[in-house]
Amino acid sequence: MQMIKDFFKTFLLYELVKGMAVTGRYFFARKITVQFPEEKTPQSFRFRGLHAQRRYANGEERCIGCKLCEAVCPALAIKIEVAEREDGTRRTTQYDIDLTKCIFCGFCEESCPVDAIVETRIFEYHGEKRGDLYYTKDMLLAIGDKYEEQIAKDRAADAKYR
Amino acid sequence: MINIEIDGKSVQTERGTTVMDAANKLGVYIPHFCYHKKLSIAANCRMCLVEVEKAPKPLPACATPVAEGMKVLTHSEMAVKAQEGVMEFLLINHPLDCPICDQGGECQLQDLAVGYGGGASRYGEEKRIVMHKDIGALVSTEEMSRCIQCTRCVRFGQEIAGVMELGMAFRGEHAEIMSFVNSSVDSELSGNMIDLCPVGALTSKPFRYTARSWELSRRKSVSPHDGLGSNLVVQVKDNKVLRVVPVENEAINECWISDKDRFSYEGLNAPERLTKPMLKQDGKWLEVEWQVALEYVANGLRQIAGSAAADQIAALATPHSTVEELYLLQKLMRGIGSNNIDSRLRQSDFSTDGKQAGAPWLGMPIAEIDTRDRFLIVGSFLRKDQPLLAHRVRQAVKKGAQANIVHASDDDLLMPVANKSIVAPDEFVNMLAQILKALIEDQGSRIKDQGATPAQSSTPRYALPDPQSLNVLRGVEVGSAAAAIAKNLAEGKNAAVLLGNFAQQHPQAAQIAMLAEQIATLSSAKFGFLGEAANSVGAYLAGAVPFGAAKQGMNAMQMLASPRKAYVLLNVEPELDMHDVQQAMSAMKAADMVVAMSAYKHHATEYADVLLPIAPFTETSGTFVNTEGRAQSFRGAVKPLGEARPAWKVLRVLGNLLNVSGFDYDTSEAVRDEALPNKDVTDKLNNHVAGIALQTPTSGNSQGLQRVSDVPIYFADAVVRRADALQKTRDAAAPCVAMHGSELHRLGVKSGDTVKVSQGNGSVHLTILANDRLPMHTARVAAGHPVTAGLGAMFGAITVERA
Repeated sequence: MQMIKDFFKTFLLYELVKGMAVTGRYFFARKITVQFPEEKTPQSFRFRGLHAQRRYANGEERCIGCKLCEAVCPALAIKIEVAEREDGTRRTTQYDIDLTKCIFCGFCEESCPVDAIVETRIFEYHGEKRGDLYYTKDMLLAIGDKYEEQIAKDRAADAKYR
Repeated sequence: MINIEIDGKSVQTERGTTVMDAANKLGVYIPHFCYHKKLSIAANCRMCLVEVEKAPKPLPACATPVAEGMKVLTHSEMAVKAQEGVMEFLLINHPLDCPICDQGGECQLQDLAVGYGGGASRYGEEKRIVMHKDIGALVSTEEMSRCIQCTRCVRFGQEIAGVMELGMAFRGEHAEIMSFVNSSVDSELSGNMIDLCPVGALTSKPFRYTARSWELSRRKSVSPHDGLGSNLVVQVKDNKVLRVVPVENEAINECWISDKDRFSYEGLNAPERLTKPMLKQDGKWLEVEWQVALEYVANGLRQIAGSAAADQIAALATPHSTVEELYLLQKLMRGIGSNNIDSRLRQSDFSTDGKQAGAPWLGMPIAEIDTRDRFLIVGSFLRKDQPLLAHRVRQAVKKGAQANIVHASDDDLLMPVANKSIVAPDEFVNMLAQILKALIEDQGSRIKDQGATPAQSSTPRYALPDPQSLNVLRGVEVGSAAAAIAKNLAEGKNAAVLLGNFAQQHPQAAQIAMLAEQIATLSSAKFGFLGEAANSVGAYLAGAVPFGAAKQGMNAMQMLASPRKAYVLLNVEPELDMHDVQQAMSAMKAADMVVAMSAYKHHATEYADVLLPIAPFTETSGTFVNTEGRAQSFRGAVKPLGEARPAWKVLRVLGNLLNVSGFDYDTSEAVRDEALPNKDVTDKLNNHVAGIALQTPTSGNSQGLQRVSDVPIYFADAVVRRADALQKTRDAAAPCVAMHGSELHRLGVKSGDTVKVSQGNGSVHLTILANDRLPMHTARVAAGHPVTAGLGAMFGAITVERA
């Protein structure tokens, strides 16, 4: 019985018709393709893109150099050096993220006790030569300064789930 | 023995012990903060609450004595509820700053809060704030708000360090730990408070914010400083030593280390580290390759050995070097035909050379000090020279032992001293002779009392003194101080006679040792030398002394008194490390060639011709034989800095270049196995000296002033000298000249005035201080310090004038 069925299916191009039916269905369906960069997909406030270092409203950097993010980072992408600043507080002298190593898991953000390191919605960044994707403290702080409004809004939206 | 049951497991324990002890024996963990096995019981943290059957309330395990049939539950509902409650109370005032706390990651409170605390706090009010206080350069109290008032630090001061430098002031919520009237913490053991503190209230100042605990690799090592050889863990990050903490070893350092061991690591990263071989060419220092420098050394030594004589070459090594280094240095020297090698740099009396039955050592295991009931400590700045031995003696005294002191300065030992005789250095021999005579007389009267003749008595107490010494002692008048010391010693059953660094450096050291040995025999005491450096005993065993080989060479004094053409210095800084600095410096300056193997760029640049960078103890493998004769090998913790190399490798290559046979070692272990074929060296240790005649002691000529010199604790070796934080402590303050108040009066100066101190052909200006703890006719001026380096020998006449 099965043999007869298979024989007729081969003969009548059943698989081909079935396949074309799928193609046909999508041919007439509503298009979901986005015309990047003119059009963009909506993003979650939990989107994990480029990292940023945040500051408090008074301009003081948040990071206290506890190195929890460095310890938790599964890709070993973070490198921190710490020293005592003149005012006696603990501050980083070096805070580097190698974005070529980073796997964007977001653990650094989760481990941060002061919400200093965050992952922003930015994903359209690039590097033109080797080393361009090695972000230092100044670069990360600059990103934070530039997008602070969006970052703060996203954290506020997520706060009730945390 | 009492049978009790903890969590259903039964255990037998001794009467008088606590539930905590029984639990430790059984391996059941009971959370605690204030309990520490080496400290008294305070029971003030309440973390160790457990349920005891039939007791209405939970009881603290650390303070509850065991009773027959006791049933203890550590995880019952009542115990868990009690522990959770205590933890919640402890956390009420504890700041939640773990992310910036140096204790974070190794904090007992952090660990126990996870294990025994609730999930969240119900406390929403303000937390208590305690202002920080400056208590010195070593211990930081920056975040005293973190304190949970366990009082471990206070009890440590009282019970271990011997001085209560921290105390709890105020009451209730306002209680806080502070030092007395804004004074600093100066104990030479103060760093142990950092280890004891279960939270981050007392932290290490030099380590502050340099690393988190999980970043550090931990590597075992051995302290290169005093004669104890304390066991250390060197903590390393990025090939840099960032912290040193103790390893528990009951036989040596228990669970403590001195501040010198703990904070000297800063010297390893000092900017003066020598990182490239350097050669002096036309008066200028050039950095060169190892090959060039070593060939220069080999050619220079060969030339001097060829044109003059091999015995124109002399080698000085610090006893802080490893056995391997010292062994290879002496093998090299003897290989090129010179026996002039010495490591006893601060010694001045070498008359016992070749007459000792073995290497001078402590005379007993370190741990046995605890069991002694009488001490006679001769010429020792014990607290500063061997801080942890001082602690051992203190513990013995606390248990009922009595200490007797013969010394030239009445320094506070932080323990009760039964009898002390503070005399000028030239009275030492006389004083010991008096004690010996008093002992002989005492023994004579005992024999008479018991009607036995000495020959019939078999107990060592009645050992016949050397007839010759009886002769010598005939003219000695026994003073009351000596009689009291002798009486005290004779009463003991387990006495110890110990000679400190000062007695070993004394110009009559041999006589002192002979007398001390006889005193020890008569009082059936153990007789020992307190090791000055980490490898003082090892240096003898490795042969880094001028005798022992076929031909006797020159000792450290001789080779400077009759200057040699070439000197090889192994980590020696002649301007600081020698007995007579003036003599040493003139010999160095007159020499044709000085090879300085050193980890540091020091004053050698003024007289040396070549500087070879060698590795300090963390960067080389090696062995130290401590004062009790325990050989302890260790490995390098980090890679040598720059082009510095372990000294044993440098010496090995030099041996090859000079065509000395037997220099084909591949590892430092191979060197060690040759130097110490049997790691157990007990049969080579012996303090007995034979063939030296006791001399009739003369009462000191007390006309002029005599110098009393100590080596300040933080200037004793090359590494500590460069440890920043230690150099900021009170013990490292610039040296003054201290004299008895009436001597000051005679001079017509006040305490605090500047005076001119002259000795030999040098003089320096120092501040004068009145110190009535010194005997008359003495002036105490520290040695081993750059300020006093212009003066002469550590002992002898010195003049003090108004500036």
